Amino acid sequence: MRKWVIRVILVAAIVGVGVWLWGVFFPSPEHVIRKRLNELTQAVSFSSNEGSLAKAMNAERLTGFFSPDVEITVDVPGHSQQTLHGRDEVLQAGMAARALAGSLNVEFLDVNVTLAPDKMSAVVNLTAKGRAGSEKDLLVQELKLMMKKVKRDWLILQVETVKTLS
Amino acid sequence: MLPTYKENGINLLNRLAYVWSQPKRGDVVGIRLAGPHIMFMKRIIGLPGEMVAFHEGHVIIDGVVLDEPYVKRPCDWERAPVILGPDEYFFVGDNRSMPQIDHTFGRGQRERIIGKILL
Repeated sequence: MRKWVIRVILVAAIVGVGVWLWGVFFPSPEHVIRKRLNELTQAVSFSSNEGSLAKAMNAERLTGFFSPDVEITVDVPGHSQQTLHGRDEVLQAGMAARALAGSLNVEFLDVNVTLAPDKMSAVVNLTAKGRAGSEKDLLVQELKLMMKKVKRDWLILQVETVKTLS
Repeated sequence: MLPTYKENGINLLNRLAYVWSQPKRGDVVGIRLAGPHIMFMKRIIGLPGEMVAFHEGHVIIDGVVLDEPYVKRPCDWERAPVILGPDEYFFVGDNRSMPQIDHTFGRGQRERIIGKILL
């Protein structure tokens, strides 16, 4: 009886480890996208003590998250609509943000990933929360991202602001 | 939502408030963005099917000025009439002293309402 129980526990443990290893080596697209977006928040964020070289390198690193033909449209109340096309403009925007704000801390909350049936593209809806420099107020904006799978990587193809209230 | 609610206050939200009833005009509600981690706190002023406009700072519902005792500071907001869809509500904050352009308000879907503010 005791041997039987040990065998069952052993099989359950092996199955559990197998499932865990499968998740580690073959993560679901949704998991990969969430991880990628988490890395993006780290690349977008910067501190006030970032050196000039680090500034340039981190801004350059930012472009790796985007497709070469990325289009970013920002339409928020009180400002004219801004559109960025391509990685070069993303890089310039990243550099400009680093020059203008002393620091920036960005988080993505409520990340909802909807995969296309072929699992080669996805639509992501999320809330971006940011605090720039010593600003008291938080910047909060709902965003919609379109991502596509290129080889084993997920790249951002399109970003647009969502009007929660219109 | 000044002056009704102070900034950085802690508020309770009843998520069951609209399980058996529909949101009403005057209710202060939590409106989700992509999810419930960050919400707007706004007052419902327009109900589905109504026409909502702002003229000289007054809310006009179907051509009639809405009485808003909770608005303590007058404003000069102007907004062209919009007709709300069958599942849409019109939300606005009580703090009308700020410039219109800085205030997040407008119509939103029923499914964005998380619940009713209790306190």
